[in-house]
Amino acid sequence: MKKLALTLLAVCLLAVPAIAQEGFPLKGSWLGTWAGNKIHGNDVLIVMSWDGKNISGEINPGTDNIKIRSASLNPDGWLVHIEADAKDKSGQALTYTIDGKIENLPLASRIVAGTWKDSRGNTGPFRIGRQ
Amino acid sequence: MKTLRALRSAFVAALVAASAPLVFAHHEPLAKFDDKKPVRIRGVVTLVDWRNPHAHLFVNVASADKVTNWAVELESPIDLEASGWSRTNLVPGDKIAVEGIAARDGSRQIWAKTVVNAAGHSLFVVNNAPPPMPLTPHPAPTWPDGQPRLGSSAGGEQGYWAFPSATALVENGVNAPMDEWGLLKNVNDASKVAPMQPWALQLYKERQERFLRDDPMYLNCKPPGGPRQFELNPGVQFVEDRVRQRIFVLIGSGNNNYRIIYTDGRSHQGQVGGDDENPLFYGRAVGKWENGTLVVDTRGFNEDFWFTNGGLPHTEQLKLIERISRPNFDTLKYDLTVEDPGAYTRPWSATWTLRWVGGRQMPRHICQENRS
Repeated sequence: MKKLALTLLAVCLLAVPAIAQEGFPLKGSWLGTWAGNKIHGNDVLIVMSWDGKNISGEINPGTDNIKIRSASLNPDGWLVHIEADAKDKSGQALTYTIDGKIENLPLASRIVAGTWKDSRGNTGPFRIGRQ
Repeated sequence: MKTLRALRSAFVAALVAASAPLVFAHHEPLAKFDDKKPVRIRGVVTLVDWRNPHAHLFVNVASADKVTNWAVELESPIDLEASGWSRTNLVPGDKIAVEGIAARDGSRQIWAKTVVNAAGHSLFVVNNAPPPMPLTPHPAPTWPDGQPRLGSSAGGEQGYWAFPSATALVENGVNAPMDEWGLLKNVNDASKVAPMQPWALQLYKERQERFLRDDPMYLNCKPPGGPRQFELNPGVQFVEDRVRQRIFVLIGSGNNNYRIIYTDGRSHQGQVGGDDENPLFYGRAVGKWENGTLVVDTRGFNEDFWFTNGGLPHTEQLKLIERISRPNFDTLKYDLTVEDPGAYTRPWSATWTLRWVGGRQMPRHICQENRS
């Protein structure tokens, strides 16, 4: 049974091709984790777009709807910096800051890995992969 | 024992050959081979694998104490056959000498520059020369309304356009030498090629430094959208439907597909029923004639492909203005303005020509893996 499950998992992984995205490297939907985030959960979904001058987007659209206030991509090292204003469950404001680096840039399934922290001093590892 | 060894060599060669479509996609040769590693071998052919995208010879090379099997990579069978070669020019057992360059990964593979048989004849030399140009250019054929015919005409000569004078985008007036695949001779010239935003320049440099090995047209059979269809050696062919006011551009490579330029005055919207906002590999093209030049405005590209050999980036904001004219019978002039505020700091232009290849059918390079 375990073997069958593993086989099915392998087939599923192989059957989900990465959708190529050859333009601005941060554009698109990203799925991953901001580990240890007790306010907005361990899993994170980020959607980003690029208008030629600015990166815009949202964290956990549809659930937490955290707008990205500012974001930058430094091509020298492909360093990513994201700031976003959120509210906790009681409506209190907090700010997230994410710093990371794009890994395996040439691949459609590229990764941003780094750390997240909030304005209350919570922090943890951050890792998202482009969908 | 000798028979067993021969059988084993043939088996290994067949195994490698069977996996060839996955391993050896059509590519810039320098993505796989190192031109600073010349190599020579002499040996006996064990297998001729005459398959797209590249033909391969498998060769047993004997040294003092062992026999090793080498894979010799050649051009595509389509190009080889166009130059008069066939799979029967060599058969297992023939002795050959090969000069070429070695694989970057150290495996026993060679990109062949010369293949010479036991009689001393050079084999598999591809003729890339364009057809001769007449001393006095012939006038371009025209439609009754005076517009030049871009394609074959009923009762007239059949043919297509190929042998582009430039095979990668470079801004007009810029000198940035590169090979036919768009690989810069000097990557420090990258910033001169086009007015790129910093992210686009860095991405372009990294694609160049990886010898274009990530090109999705070769890796994943992505179409040659944008101007790339006019940069590829297999060429393009125009079919002008004057009644329905559209021009088909048939593309000799990239899965042998086509693009439609509408000349009926429609807008960019509404060209694909129910899917207007979905960006496309070939975008949405509308054209009109201006003084004998077809002016094509194309927008709505997706970002899933490289729009030029060499890997210049683009975004969904890409807009192309193509000016296509036929100054004489044998010449197609292609003048392009690129506007993409997502990747470039200003609009910029590039111009090149293609040659008429009369009396021949356009070759059909079909990418079959389509793994993405």
